[in-house]
Amino acid sequence: MCREPDLDIYDVLLRDFPFLLKGLGVAVVLLVALLLIGFVLGMAICLLQLYGPRTLLVQWPLKVYERVFRGVPIIIMLFIFYYGVSGIYDISAFAAAVLAMGLRSAAYQSQIFRSAFQSVPAGQMMAARAMGMSKIKAIRHIVFPQSARHAIGPWTNEFSSEIKETSLAYVIGVVELTRQAHYIITSTQGNVLMVFAVVALLYFVLNRAGNSLLYAFERKLAVPGFEK
Amino acid sequence: MTDDLVLDVRDVKKSYEGLEVLKGIGFGLRRGETKVLVGPSGSGKSTLLRCINHLTPPDEGRIFLSGEEVLEKNIDAMRARIGFVFQDFNLFSHLTVLDNVRICQVKVKGVAADVATERAQQELERVGLGDKASAYPAELSGGQQQRVSIARALAMDPDVLLFDEPTSALDPELTGEVVRVMQKLASDGMTMVVVTHEMSFARQAADELIFMENGYIIEQGPPQQLFSSAANDRTRAFLNVIAEHG
Ligand SMILES: Nc1ncnc2c1ncn2[C@@H]1O[C@H](COP(=O)(O)OP(=O)(O)OP(=O)(O)O)[C@@H](O)[C@H]1O
Ligand SMILES: [Mg+2]
Repeated sequence: MCREPDLDIYDVLLRDFPFLLKGLGVAVVLLVALLLIGFVLGMAICLLQLYGPRTLLVQWPLKVYERVFRGVPIIIMLFIFYYGVSGIYDISAFAAAVLAMGLRSAAYQSQIFRSAFQSVPAGQMMAARAMGMSKIKAIRHIVFPQSARHAIGPWTNEFSSEIKETSLAYVIGVVELTRQAHYIITSTQGNVLMVFAVVALLYFVLNRAGNSLLYAFERKLAVPGFEK
Repeated sequence: MTDDLVLDVRDVKKSYEGLEVLKGIGFGLRRGETKVLVGPSGSGKSTLLRCINHLTPPDEGRIFLSGEEVLEKNIDAMRARIGFVFQDFNLFSHLTVLDNVRICQVKVKGVAADVATERAQQELERVGLGDKASAYPAELSGGQQQRVSIARALAMDPDVLLFDEPTSALDPELTGEVVRVMQKLASDGMTMVVVTHEMSFARQAADELIFMENGYIIEQGPPQQLFSSAANDRTRAFLNVIAEHG
């Protein structure tokens, strides 16, 4: 057995820590990209569902989209996007992960936004329209800012669960944090617990940091005297 | 047709799923006039007010504001000139009192920010809430919220103000402050249509009282005359009832 001399697990971790950080970086980019796609697309879906044409031609596909992406396990979606799409178009594992997870996040975020918009009393829109605001202005200046207050809590949950789910991109070969950890483990044989403990800590710190930012934002949106 | 009418409502009809709520309503308001609209619950008072600014578009009939017809295609511009005060205030809950009174001046009329602020402050003083500019709606009493909503409507410099039961959502001890503001507006020469059961307001401030029932205007005239000698039995009966309970 060819054991690396004089290197215990702490030394290995210290030596390979930059790789873990790099993996963390990939996870963060994946996270930001999928949340961004989810935000833009989710908002568009929500606006179409609430304020768009009521015809089945528009509403039905949106509903099917939402159901499908919320109903299929993300691992399956990752495989479908990676192996399925790469048959037609050469897609990198990272791009496949961003797409699969971003599209799914859109389904979840559209629901978060929809119930946030719906929680704004109808009288708010009515008063804005009665004063001469167009529908778009009323949404932008009145309904949207109020719904943000309602959306931020559930959105923080979505953020947390997506952080954790980025680790699943591992299965199609994206070299994110979990896969980097796996490399270290194979090269040192054993010490699984130690390595994964460090990885767990990294995920945890990222999660807490993101949550703190979002809570700060939530406090900023809070309105005196207003109870949710 | 009279040219100096600020608001001219002609033969407005409106049905909801076969139920005809307005069956041909017409009335007019000259500049500075206040008319009070009364009638039993379900007679179509709210529907009529909401038809005027197309919150509920009328099925038939025409509405003119200072000689210009209110139509779907100019509706946003027309609404900016028709103040509407709701029963439950509908203040924008995420904005301070000052911003509530400012926002539509800026976003709808394109008034410069500092001009809008000054106007908002003036209107707040006018309703006696100059010191509440930085409060949020949820920090105010119902009466104060309704006065802010009146200031918000006034800041748009409307041709006419429509009130739909502005005191009905308030505790009895808070109606007075709102009624006083409305009386002051009436005597300042504001043009207003007011749906209310506050008969003290009707007596003191209304140039004309309009009694509606079943989608028709049954009778209209100076309030003193209707109170003392309404021609129609149903008008008399209704006014007696609200004089006792209202
Ligand atoms: N959006 C709607 N859909 C269906 N019917 C409606 C709608 N709005 C009002 N109605 C009906 O129209 C009739 C007139 O209602 P409206 O609210 O105009 O009466 P109102 O005179 O304002 O009564 P109140 O004194 O109770 O406020 C009622 O029978 C009511 O049920
Ligand atoms: Mg009503």
